[in-house]
Amino acid sequence: MAECVKVCTENFGKGAQDIEVYKKLGGYENISERLFNMSQFEVIDYVQRSNLRGRGGAGFPTGMKWSFVPRNSGKPVYIVVNADEGEGGTFKDHYLMMEDPHRLIEGLIIAGWALGSRSAYIYVRGEFLPCIETLNKALNQAYAAGYLGENICGTKFSFDIFVHRGAGAYICGEETALINSLEGQKGQPRLKPPFPAVSGAWKSPTCVNNVETIMALPWIFKHEPEEYAKLGTPRAGGTKVFCISGDVKNPGVYEAPLGTPMMTMINDYAGGVVGGNLKAVLPGGSSCAPLTAEECAVATMDYECLASMKTMFGSGAMIVINDTHNMAELLNVLGNFYSHESCGQCTPCREGTGLIHRILNQIVEGKGHDGDVEFMQSLSNGFGGVTICPLSVSLGGPVSSYTTKFRSDFDELIAKNPDRAKPRVQETSRPGIFW
Amino acid sequence: MNHKQGAIHFVANNNLKFEDGPKPLFVRPSSAAPVQKKNEEQKQPSREEVRALLDVPEIKDRCADLLSRYPEPQGALLEVLWLVQGVLGWVPTEGIRWAAEVCSCAPAHALGVATFYTMYNHAPKGKFLLQFCRNISCAIKGAQPLIKYIENKLGIKSGETTPDGLFTILQVECLGSCGNGPMMLVNDDFATDVVDGQLKMKRGTTLTEESIDRIVEWCKAHANNVPKRDVLGGIVKGHMGHPNAPGATAKPQVADYAPPSPVLNVKAEADETGASLTWKGAPEFTKLVVEKKNGSNWEVVGEPSVKDKCFVDATGKVGDTYRMIATSGERVAKPSLEAVATQKPVPEEKAV
Repeated sequence: MAECVKVCTENFGKGAQDIEVYKKLGGYENISERLFNMSQFEVIDYVQRSNLRGRGGAGFPTGMKWSFVPRNSGKPVYIVVNADEGEGGTFKDHYLMMEDPHRLIEGLIIAGWALGSRSAYIYVRGEFLPCIETLNKALNQAYAAGYLGENICGTKFSFDIFVHRGAGAYICGEETALINSLEGQKGQPRLKPPFPAVSGAWKSPTCVNNVETIMALPWIFKHEPEEYAKLGTPRAGGTKVFCISGDVKNPGVYEAPLGTPMMTMINDYAGGVVGGNLKAVLPGGSSCAPLTAEECAVATMDYECLASMKTMFGSGAMIVINDTHNMAELLNVLGNFYSHESCGQCTPCREGTGLIHRILNQIVEGKGHDGDVEFMQSLSNGFGGVTICPLSVSLGGPVSSYTTKFRSDFDELIAKNPDRAKPRVQETSRPGIFW
Repeated sequence: MNHKQGAIHFVANNNLKFEDGPKPLFVRPSSAAPVQKKNEEQKQPSREEVRALLDVPEIKDRCADLLSRYPEPQGALLEVLWLVQGVLGWVPTEGIRWAAEVCSCAPAHALGVATFYTMYNHAPKGKFLLQFCRNISCAIKGAQPLIKYIENKLGIKSGETTPDGLFTILQVECLGSCGNGPMMLVNDDFATDVVDGQLKMKRGTTLTEESIDRIVEWCKAHANNVPKRDVLGGIVKGHMGHPNAPGATAKPQVADYAPPSPVLNVKAEADETGASLTWKGAPEFTKLVVEKKNGSNWEVVGEPSVKDKCFVDATGKVGDTYRMIATSGERVAKPSLEAVATQKPVPEEKAV
């Protein structure tokens, strides 16, 4: 395992929660004449040259996202940091905020300068109260040191950061739902367009970025953007913070360059698979398609390779599964999760995720019937493109890929039902649905 | 405070209650893991009781601070509901109505918000709320047997409270600590074990039956002095609030806080027809000037439109040095970096 350049996790374990320690480690060096002599356009160009792509899951180029924000619209521009990390298997933002809150603040000041923003919000999920405490402590120190507030460091630039505590809704990780939640409404996604970059929070231009994206900015500005781009693949620059969990010896947060082979991540960083042989890996959180052991051997951890394997890079959350697990049981966990977290706006998602969950529940309990798998596949095929947000597809994708790649696991459980060939008894009084 | 009078009046005449409606036609199978019970039969405290606890200077200051952060008061609704939960331990109907009044929104809207998010309790909970993650990473590492274990140990099911009012068990979705899975939240503390008399989640540790025993013992030992934490993680001092917030002192961002943008990435290529320049322009340019170096002086050779992508200087040849100056509104940006014209590559002839 080659020693890799650390971008976001540079200060881990060094006590960088305190501003003095952080400054000694080179923090807040970017908040200087050099930044204040750069125009907004130059800063955005700088980020574009670094090839930084959004780390939240969709992987959209950050510099391009910023360039969409209209200037001189007469409305305030908001920066919102998405720290509503709820995807199964993702826990990097939790550690990043706990270990290095000042880096997030420094990155936000750079982003604020680039976008001409006056107020930024950090939307932290409700469960992360320790993170909020750490952030608030860091904000107090940053205000006292004059890095935030009115006329920062003697310039005409004023900038405030507020922490907003969410209250437990996975769907608020979707950017328009997050904006709704910030406005004090139910966290239900909005129809796009208009995109948040043009009309987001309070109908003003809004830029929603992941914690890790913002935390990469101080490093990029301290070094040359080309240096950051060189760390990754040609189409996506930099390093990525991977979260490895599941059946590995040392689960945890590891920073590695984009394009690292998947088996290197599992064997060298996380210490190898424990409890059995490798069966499958979810490379980008709970809502992506699993890769079988043979596919894992050739996969590299970057956006293009995983997209070509019909899964996705997502948030870089690798969930390693060994061969003692039945994939149908794990899909049942996901069915439970997505049906619980559906916001209830769109019928295909509200009803479809629940129906898939109930079928899976019966399969796992040994009450599955022949044809259940085909029925679930046909349901999941109907999810694409008919809902406002991709939550239903986040379950539909796994359903079709789990059932295709690990069909025997489902058949094994269905075979436990002696009456599996009989037609289903109608279990509800609702007319029209035979379930 | 500016209330939407009509809305308040309307709801004031409708006694909001969390009562069971008509029996749903479609009941989910009982095998579905239980979620937080919302419609539990619960005695709601009266308006006076709730207001006596909430209308205190300390809470009012916090509310004023929260309201100053958002351009519209409704933005603070989630945080104000958290304050209610912090004071009362749960959000009763009157607490929701109070939050709606603070945030100048309709109580029905506040009720919708309070019931949408799962972390607001609609019935009192035990002194220690034990939330177990049941999502995929924890499930792989054996969360369900541990949840069964604690249910048997305390003699209650998930979603229920022990008769002595000490513990409530909940199964929740991913808690964002999958590297420590299976793990739990004890009130607001991530925990996999008790270390030196403190709940801790150290790297590389996971919840086991023994550590659950230790955590339960720790909770019992702290039953009379439950660690109290600020629901919003403390107060941030020094911020000026949002410029559009009611009664704000903060000023909006000055439009020209940053220097005007120069022209970036100027490239010049020349052949016998002259030199052509390309550049990258910012949207705020109002005027562009191209200059050519003549000895030690700069001569203006043209003024391309801001929408142009290319400018051709017919007299230009290889080796000429160019620079561009942009104007944004009334402010003139610093000149671009100098670009020396290079030989234009001859386009390859296409095969016929």
